[in-house]
Amino acid sequence: MLIKRSDGVRAKQRLASAYQGLSAGGLDRRGFLKQAGLAGAGVAALAGIAPRMAEAAGAATGVINHEQPVTRVKNICTHCSVGCTVVAEVQNGVWVGQEPAWESPINRGTHCAKGASVRELVHGDRRIKFPMKLVGGQWQRMSWDAAMSEIGEKMMEIRQKSGPDSVFLLGSAKFSNEGAYLYRKFAAFWGTNSVDHQARICHSTTVAGVANTWGYGAQTNSYNDIRNSKTMIIMGGNPAEAHPVSLQHVLSGKETNRANLIVIDPRYTRTAAHATDYVRIRPGTDIPIIWGMLWHIFQNGWEDKEFIRQRVHGMEDVRAEVAKWTPQEVERVTGVPGAQLRAVAEKFATQKPSTLIWCMGATQKTVGTANVRAYSILLLATGNVGKEGTGANIFRGHCNVQGASDFGLDVATLPAYYGIDENAWRHWSRVWGVSFESMRARFDTPQMMHTPGIPTTRYFDAILLPKDQVQQRDNTKGMIVFGHGGNTVTRMPEAVKGLEALELLVVADPHPTTFAVLSGRRENTYLLPIATQFECNGSRTSSNRSVQWCSKVVDPIFESRTDYRVIYDLAKSLDAAATKRNMTYRIAEEMFRPYEIVNGEPTAESILGEINRGAWGTGYSGISAARLKLHQQHQDKFDLVTLRAGANAPAEIRGDYYGLPWPCWGTPEMRHPGSHILYNTNIAVKDGGGSFRPRFGLERNGQTLLAEGSWSKDSDIQDGYPEFTVAVLKRLGWFDELTAAEKASIAQVGGANQDAVSWMTDLSGGIQRVAIAHGCSPFGNGKARANAWNLPDPIPVHREPIYTTRNDLIAQFPTLPDRRGFRLPHLGQSVQARSPQLAAEFPIILTSGRLVEYEGGGEETRSNKWLAELQQDMFVEINPRDAAARNIRDGSWVWVMGPESNSRARVKALVTERVGPGVAFMPFHFAGWFQGTDQRSKYPQGTDPIVLGESVNAVTSYGYDPVTFMQETKVTICQIRAA
Amino acid sequence: MARMKFLCDADRCIECNACVTACKNEHEVPWGINRRRVVTINDGKPGERSISMACMHCTDAPCAAVCPTSCFYTTADAVVLHDKDTCIGCGYCFYACPFGAPQYPRVGNFGGRGKMDKCTYCAGGPQQDNTRVEYTQYGSNRLAEGKLPLCAEMCSTKALLAGDGEMIATIYRERVQRRGYGSGAWGWRTAYRENITT
Amino acid sequence: MKRLILAPFLVLLLALSAPVFAQPAPGGQARGQVSAEEMEMQRLLQGGRVEGRTSIPDPRSEVLIQPQGKAWRDFHNVTLAWVGGIAVGGMALILIAFYATRGRITIEGGPAGRTISRFNLLERANHWMVASSFIVLGLTGLNLTFGRHILLPIIGPYAFANVSLWGKIAHNFVAFPFTLGIVVMLLLWVKDNIPNGRDIEWFKMGGGLIGKGHPKAGRFNGGQKMVFWITVLGGGIVAASGYFLIFPFWGEFGVADMQLAHIIHSILSVLMVAAMIAHIYIGSVGMEGAFDAMGSGEVDLNWAKEHHGLWVEEEMAKARQVVAPSGVKPAE
Repeated sequence: MLIKRSDGVRAKQRLASAYQGLSAGGLDRRGFLKQAGLAGAGVAALAGIAPRMAEAAGAATGVINHEQPVTRVKNICTHCSVGCTVVAEVQNGVWVGQEPAWESPINRGTHCAKGASVRELVHGDRRIKFPMKLVGGQWQRMSWDAAMSEIGEKMMEIRQKSGPDSVFLLGSAKFSNEGAYLYRKFAAFWGTNSVDHQARICHSTTVAGVANTWGYGAQTNSYNDIRNSKTMIIMGGNPAEAHPVSLQHVLSGKETNRANLIVIDPRYTRTAAHATDYVRIRPGTDIPIIWGMLWHIFQNGWEDKEFIRQRVHGMEDVRAEVAKWTPQEVERVTGVPGAQLRAVAEKFATQKPSTLIWCMGATQKTVGTANVRAYSILLLATGNVGKEGTGANIFRGHCNVQGASDFGLDVATLPAYYGIDENAWRHWSRVWGVSFESMRARFDTPQMMHTPGIPTTRYFDAILLPKDQVQQRDNTKGMIVFGHGGNTVTRMPEAVKGLEALELLVVADPHPTTFAVLSGRRENTYLLPIATQFECNGSRTSSNRSVQWCSKVVDPIFESRTDYRVIYDLAKSLDAAATKRNMTYRIAEEMFRPYEIVNGEPTAESILGEINRGAWGTGYSGISAARLKLHQQHQDKFDLVTLRAGANAPAEIRGDYYGLPWPCWGTPEMRHPGSHILYNTNIAVKDGGGSFRPRFGLERNGQTLLAEGSWSKDSDIQDGYPEFTVAVLKRLGWFDELTAAEKASIAQVGGANQDAVSWMTDLSGGIQRVAIAHGCSPFGNGKARANAWNLPDPIPVHREPIYTTRNDLIAQFPTLPDRRGFRLPHLGQSVQARSPQLAAEFPIILTSGRLVEYEGGGEETRSNKWLAELQQDMFVEINPRDAAARNIRDGSWVWVMGPESNSRARVKALVTERVGPGVAFMPFHFAGWFQGTDQRSKYPQGTDPIVLGESVNAVTSYGYDPVTFMQETKVTICQIRAA
Repeated sequence: MARMKFLCDADRCIECNACVTACKNEHEVPWGINRRRVVTINDGKPGERSISMACMHCTDAPCAAVCPTSCFYTTADAVVLHDKDTCIGCGYCFYACPFGAPQYPRVGNFGGRGKMDKCTYCAGGPQQDNTRVEYTQYGSNRLAEGKLPLCAEMCSTKALLAGDGEMIATIYRERVQRRGYGSGAWGWRTAYRENITT
Repeated sequence: MKRLILAPFLVLLLALSAPVFAQPAPGGQARGQVSAEEMEMQRLLQGGRVEGRTSIPDPRSEVLIQPQGKAWRDFHNVTLAWVGGIAVGGMALILIAFYATRGRITIEGGPAGRTISRFNLLERANHWMVASSFIVLGLTGLNLTFGRHILLPIIGPYAFANVSLWGKIAHNFVAFPFTLGIVVMLLLWVKDNIPNGRDIEWFKMGGGLIGKGHPKAGRFNGGQKMVFWITVLGGGIVAASGYFLIFPFWGEFGVADMQLAHIIHSILSVLMVAAMIAHIYIGSVGMEGAFDAMGSGEVDLNWAKEHHGLWVEEEMAKARQVVAPSGVKPAE
């Protein structure tokens, strides 16, 4: 039956009235200014005709005066990582309209619900309008100057008392590349590695997993390239809701190639509705599924033997593990019948090119890194890497999570994945024009400089755990949060306690975020209004590594300021505080010296210029602001499928790939086109080709780790080779191809040990230039690793989630034993031991995910009236069978109870077969209600998001990936009861 | 003249709601009024399909037929528009409309209906084209600028097609031929008394 | 659940769609094979709707296609127009013809000159409240159905829109006194309006028009009882359905319920308008002495004896009782 009567029972009144009541006070500054000038006559005349004439439009910020010129400004959508171009129509400094960006090869004019509504963000009457602080539990307005100076004082107080590591610097994937880089640099100058951002909780395990497999932690191909695929597997992802515009490419590929679109997911998602094959699995059994597929592939000889021989190390070790996963065993563990999996495996291995697409369903697990490794191994075994239509198409989350990762908003690396060892620090000190020793002096102890910091998934543990369990001078005492929600991390009941214990909390964001209201803090809490990326210039890197220049649409609204300005001002206020205390510590002058300062803030162009001079390792060196601006201007010249600018393009971009997807080697003047497809040996390196990166030595157990019989097109070295250094150049006799200037630069970098200067540390770019001139990848030509011996599970093995409903499997597939990492204890088996005792009380598996209308913590999108109207209530999806057993009606209120901290959440039931029996799903964008209490009154007046709701992370539980401390959000257990 | 129509390719529509917010953005449609919406049938089951629906600008439009004040008119492009100055908010068009297109702001006394609002095919209303008066009553007039409705232009998967009926039917037919399947054009039988044969 | 029950009822009520209740196509269609045309056709024939799920908390938005709109349109534009036209126009014609042939009905014995009190102030005030409300409601209501064809061409679209808009507002507000009046009317007069055997007699004699002499009647004769029940029951249902329409989509009700409510409301209304035209005729120009009952409240004794003989007797008896109250022996 189609007709479902109970569908409609929802509280339409409550929210509408809440909205009306609350919005009455909100004033849209631009709309107001505009209307005051123009409205007059027209509206008055209308009113005379009949009552209530002007009903269609609200504040009418979208009225365009067609007699006046309209400026078109291009920026990029600030929501997901697809990187859709937004065309803004601006008149008199007001963003009056959005037009389709037809010329963008990525979105071709289209948007999803979020992208089509971004104009609201810069009219947002629910933004923070001025700096505020909590005084006795009440929000009080203050000036920027006062705010910055108070924050500087308090940070310095913590520094003096507990050391720089006691301030946790949380950055954001909402930063531009320049903002992310600046914040990482700020952390370095502050003297801590505890600087993190959203990648920790979305794709940190992807980065770790794929980088450990073949060299770089990024999507290998692109959204557009999926059009070439004949078989696509989407496993642990729901791009129809999370990356809707990517579906344009996926569905076009499916249609033109009559391709297989296979969705493997516990949930029948909107993506699954368009699949040719749908496989429903038990949550948390990805590895058995992959091994089950490989079992059929090895059994039938469908693997790509030549590819494995030439370019893969350790596949034999995988075979041994795979042999255990017979169809019967796979069905026992995952619930998927052998025949179904065989069909999927056959399509994937034989109807090529095949691509594997994944998102957080794979990564947000205690076995996240292992999952990613298993996925990568499946691609390697079938030879589906480094060609058109193949690859690991990892759809990342936020608009610039790739860029923010690339620029080192990570507790274990400096920008461009240099790590935090001495070489890395020396390299970046050179780039920054400061001495290594002066940087080391900024840290609490020299050792802390090389110690990975506190990850965002555990900040509250670093606050709350006994001091002796946190491996730094003192607990975390202060937290500076830029552009990050407080509801995105699991175990929220404990986060509340942690936040309350902080001595300083600064939230710098366009919106108050959950951090501002979640806890019972009454003092020492600051809110700083930050401009969105539509109100500032900069570049951002989308998931496919294309870097796009974003032009400022309008000036920062209200009293908002850009990230650049606030970081700069913070540095200056720290200096002032230090001066007052007679401390020698200084930051602003040295850190900002290289930049061009305009209107009190460093320009994005000058920051990107510094990035170009330092980020050789990921090939950000060739991506200059000038080149990016040309790409923005000539978007229409890039091919839809290959992303390459063809013969009709102007000479200065001809041959480039759109957005110069990194690695874009050498200097900008070298005009490397970028690399559309990573590790692609079918084209020359100078045309964007490459090979697998030998990062882990040249040999292991007597086997070479360099490629055998495989090299990129036109390579002068027709075999595997190591990364390029001066020593290698000399041995090849190519050293003298370096120019005198390049040699001088290398001599300056290398000092006594010139031979060790490599393609990553050579500041002239000469080594890269010479290597590419000979058709070689600067980083070498190695094998991908099926066996990653440095990881906890070198060959991925199945491990049951910490909390599972299949306690019978724990003995055979236990989680890892308790251990330590990232300065903190990491519990495993000791927590999992609770699971069997909870089985009866919590019989439903709880998983979480995205909605199309909202993004991330959701504060920004839930404040957008056009989006908020479409999702007005937090809900839990529950199977009709489970609902019937609990007497739960669709649309009724229920309590969802989690296995830890007596946590519970009051949400609406959505009774649907999207989830199977025994599985429940909750979206993760909601906040503002906590354990049944509405926290609306705790927001500063006029800044409360339109829609509030319980956070799923109020009921999620313990569990961390051993490699990155990624949190477990996809599999926990819960109970659901009618409220 | 062209005969403007909408066509939603349900095999492409992923319920991303871009059409809905694009419409809200372009015309600043207030909370509670949904000129366009996406309905998912067979939700969560095999055969699930999402369809974006708004006023279809019917041939022999039922709304126009039942309007007590004859406030509807059809443009040369076959777009069905109405005059809010003569609409009295009686609700009859909603009873007659097969697609639930007419929307009413809740105003006054007993939460009664205000003047009807619906999809204008981005063609404004009877006021002078692209004036502020027209915008505040009906939203922007893209058709007068030579542009098509923004919902279709911004559709993430290009599922929603807008334009001359013949042309979009041809695009759809070609698409179906290329991919080998197509479930047909939702609402066409009802709105235009025709099907797309493929 | 409500809508499920009502939706097919609507179709049955009108019998407008083809009486083909085709069996639904066998379920379990293969994935991707939900044909839009097929489903639309099928729903149309079944009188069902194509419905799904939306995230907007508005049940109306969940209906994708509702073929009943066509049925409602046909009802509104065809059935209602004809029924209303025939009922209202026909009644007017009948009355004109009656007046032309029969003329004004006079009091048989001529006015007696003495009057008897028939309706007190409350009764009359209430009657006129209902009557005036009804006229406003009737005219504004008829305007919605026929104004477009009659008034609009005369006064032009903007004036007509204003008239109709204020008419709609008046219609909504005046509904309240009307409803109140109906309730009061019921309380005041129900005891005198219980149908009994004499009413059959009254109708057999056509209220005195057929054959000789007048049928006996109490306070209200058969015809008046009929008007009473038409007003109370009809008015009650019209009011109820009207409120349903004033508060659109209250509770869980959907468009099918609105359509049904409108159909009931409009059909009953035009029939009531027709009946009330007759009532107005007979109470004014049609019959000598009748208007006084609701005018001054005092009616001519002869008129009263003629039409309400039993009632006059009762009143006389009561009057005697008052003159000679019980307990006091009459002086014989």
